[in-house]
Amino acid sequence: MKEDMMVLPTHRVNVLTGIKSAKVIEDASEYAALIRRAKRPLLVLGPKLAEISLDGKLLLEYALEIAKVVNIPLCATSHIKGKMVELGAKPDSEYDVVEIINHLKSPAWQGVRKEGNHDLVIFFGIRTDIGNQGLSTLKHFAPHLKTMTLCKYVYPHADYSLPNFRKDAQWKEFLEKLISSLKEEK
Amino acid sequence: MTEVAEKKEKKTRRQREVEKLIRAEDQWEPIGATPMPEIPDLRNWDMRLLKTYAPWYAPFCDLCCFCTYGKCDLTECRRGACGIDIAGQQGRIILLACCMGMSAHAGHARHIIDYLIERHGEDYKIDLGSNVAVEAPHIRTVLGLKPETLGDLRTAIEYVERELIHLVSALHTGQEGSYLDYESKALHAGMLDHVGMEAADIAQIVGFKYPTSVADTPLAGLGLASIDTAKPMILVIGHNPASSTNVIDYLRQNNLYDKIEVGGICCTALETTRYSDSAKVIGPLSRQLYYVRTGMADVIMTDEQCIRTDIVEEAKKVGSALIATSDKACYGLEDATEKDIDEIVRQIVEEGKQFLILDHAKAGEVAVKVALKLAPQRKKVLISESEAQELAKVCRECEICERVCPNLFSIGHGIRQVGQGNFEPLRQLFDQCIGCGKCEEECPRHIPIFKIMQAAASKDTFKVRVGRGPIMDTEIRNVGAPIVLGTIPGVVAFVGCSNLPDIDDVVEMAEEFAKRKYIVVLSGCAAMVAGMKKDADGLTIYERYPGNFDAGGVVNVGSCVANAHITGAAMKIANIFATLPLRGNYEVIADYILNRVGAVGVAWGAYSQKAASIATGCNRLGIPVLLGPHSSKYRRLYLSKKGEDDWRVMDGRKAEVVDTGEPSPEHLLYVTETKEKAMVMISKLCIRKNDTPQGRGIKLNHYISLYKKYMGGGLPDDLHLYVRTDRDLPIVYKKEAMAYLKEVGWKPKPVLSLPTLIGTYPSKVPLEAVIH
Repeated sequence: MKEDMMVLPTHRVNVLTGIKSAKVIEDASEYAALIRRAKRPLLVLGPKLAEISLDGKLLLEYALEIAKVVNIPLCATSHIKGKMVELGAKPDSEYDVVEIINHLKSPAWQGVRKEGNHDLVIFFGIRTDIGNQGLSTLKHFAPHLKTMTLCKYVYPHADYSLPNFRKDAQWKEFLEKLISSLKEEK
Repeated sequence: MTEVAEKKEKKTRRQREVEKLIRAEDQWEPIGATPMPEIPDLRNWDMRLLKTYAPWYAPFCDLCCFCTYGKCDLTECRRGACGIDIAGQQGRIILLACCMGMSAHAGHARHIIDYLIERHGEDYKIDLGSNVAVEAPHIRTVLGLKPETLGDLRTAIEYVERELIHLVSALHTGQEGSYLDYESKALHAGMLDHVGMEAADIAQIVGFKYPTSVADTPLAGLGLASIDTAKPMILVIGHNPASSTNVIDYLRQNNLYDKIEVGGICCTALETTRYSDSAKVIGPLSRQLYYVRTGMADVIMTDEQCIRTDIVEEAKKVGSALIATSDKACYGLEDATEKDIDEIVRQIVEEGKQFLILDHAKAGEVAVKVALKLAPQRKKVLISESEAQELAKVCRECEICERVCPNLFSIGHGIRQVGQGNFEPLRQLFDQCIGCGKCEEECPRHIPIFKIMQAAASKDTFKVRVGRGPIMDTEIRNVGAPIVLGTIPGVVAFVGCSNLPDIDDVVEMAEEFAKRKYIVVLSGCAAMVAGMKKDADGLTIYERYPGNFDAGGVVNVGSCVANAHITGAAMKIANIFATLPLRGNYEVIADYILNRVGAVGVAWGAYSQKAASIATGCNRLGIPVLLGPHSSKYRRLYLSKKGEDDWRVMDGRKAEVVDTGEPSPEHLLYVTETKEKAMVMISKLCIRKNDTPQGRGIKLNHYISLYKKYMGGGLPDDLHLYVRTDRDLPIVYKKEAMAYLKEVGWKPKPVLSLPTLIGTYPSKVPLEAVIH
């Protein structure tokens, strides 16, 4: 059971006082299985993806690789689209993080590909403060979907979150293993 | 008496009371539908706004912890012991925040009005100069009163106080249950906030003879290094100038004006520069702890709001004397108001005591006398780079500082770099830091991080234009038509705290819009930080752009309470340009602004409850507000779903409902993650349904060009929603835009005349009231 409990975020801001908190998962293959199981997942890309590199590889490149392996539609927030275009990618939609969350709240929304609302939303590269607040909105007002994060720190309001990785190397290892797991399952 | 007759009698009594208070016999304007409105009077307007701009909640917490029936878990549609659900609880928290923020301004107003009435008498005339005939647009519009004296300002604040009791009482367990009604009450609180702010600033302007009717106000010294450290120094912190003006008065009366430095943090700093040409602005709230810990201040004098609540301990640590002067912030100090001045000075200087002094003249005299005596005894030197380097070498980069930082900044890395002689990473962090001090508090090796920052902080001095107060009626006459028709693309007001994510963000955004000939208005800490960047010629934004309320102007109205002049300017456009009567006519004025005045507020940094009430007041008045990323912690936004919502309005001239499909303004309260997106959004939020084709073309030109500049090229994917006919398209993008419109199947739409929401929802206001 221990691995099912949320550890106290080492960055102590935004610590949730509450009842329902994220399931923290360290095993990339478990994350891959959750993504695979989703019928209509959505990957929401934040501007931090263009700012942070892990050993010279931009986070955005990891994100695009994940999306490509499992054909996940992309939502570009803030000004991330510019960097995507540079890398030869095109988002399926452009909404800021609060706008996409506002749409996701409605079960009747048809999603970014007009195929129905999404059942799993993966957030990657959003600022911690605004990201955690947005996840709180979905936790309380969108019970019809699950949320997941790929960022370095725990997001208590998500359904599934990574632990607080102390070192970037741990984060990198997770992302690489996630991609390889997704490829394996393909 | 029957129940119906009783009700009628009660209403009549209230009307009689209101008419007496607002001097209904004065026929300066006809009285509108809602003089001195109570909570239900503008509820239909609120509900109409909330229909399009639905509250978006991001709870901090799953629980309600307000009463002893709980804690109650509100997850997954559970209700609390009182029956409240999570949306209702969020609405309640928002109302609470707005009441707190509004009370802070109104408390300031009440204090300063009473203080000035004691000094000058309640019949002291309000005179804002020959160019300001519409002296108090909020008080005129909300109350229906044209204030002529300080006593009339007290009437305004008494109305605010009365309404506040009702609002706070609705927060109690077992009262309001609907989140929409909580929001309506929050909008009411926001509206009252602007009344309180206006009353406060008008009182200050007339009572202290601040600048008014002047665009070209003096430039004051700004920055940490603006203080001459060779002189004794008094640091004033807070928002209320009653004490700091007394310091200046004492200096003037005793021929000490050039012998002591008076610098300030937060709005009191701006207020003091309005009173004294030698006062300096140290900087915004984020610099408070840092500056206090430098020990440069011989005396720290606090008044109210935005003061570090551990100021007593912090002052003591560095040997600065501390004098508190407000009943709202006593800090457990001994009240020395009745004590002999020389004895107070002796105890402070010889025994290191700290006092609360509620007599402002006495506090001013004590501060000066203490500063003169203490300064020669104190050594005031910033640490050198080599000393900082030695202190930083202790760091083992354990990252605990990073983990407690609200922004997760790599402080440990910056400190380690200082240890190796590289000050640049810490210098960059200093500009982003909100100055909370949590890093230093948690450091297991007790490294004095703020002290080390002294070596990395800029030693430059800057300039800020002194707050000018209200916008002149003559300026409104000049810009009214271009704003309403859209040929001045918008008014962008940067307000509130402003140092997050980066202290340079505000000036970058302000400059972008000033260059594009928007009218840029600033207040409070945002006005300060806008001055904290120089161009290659060493000039700040205030030296490069004129201070008048016109296209391309960069206007500092003053402190927080001067925010009322910004919203007041929008109201004056409706009154002076469109000749709509203000008096008791809130709904008509707000509707006019929502549909015709392209104004946007921007509150960029982390901030207190005051921003919640200021922004909510802007929203009720039809002005959208954009927040910086940290402000998602306010937990509530007002968002539309642009493609799906009801965008029908009345064509006032034809008296027909028209489905415009045009989301303008798209949101009322919005948060962006980056300054890049903020700039694109600001330009879009300036679009209004009343724009002429020429005006719309100018606004779309900026929207498209900012989108291309910051979003990676192409055209915005909602462009078609804002194009009514091909005449709306800016020439420079016409070919590209036409191809896009064809691709998405765009069809021309009618251009409206006199767009209004009046007539589309239940209201006492007839459609004719908006046609002038």
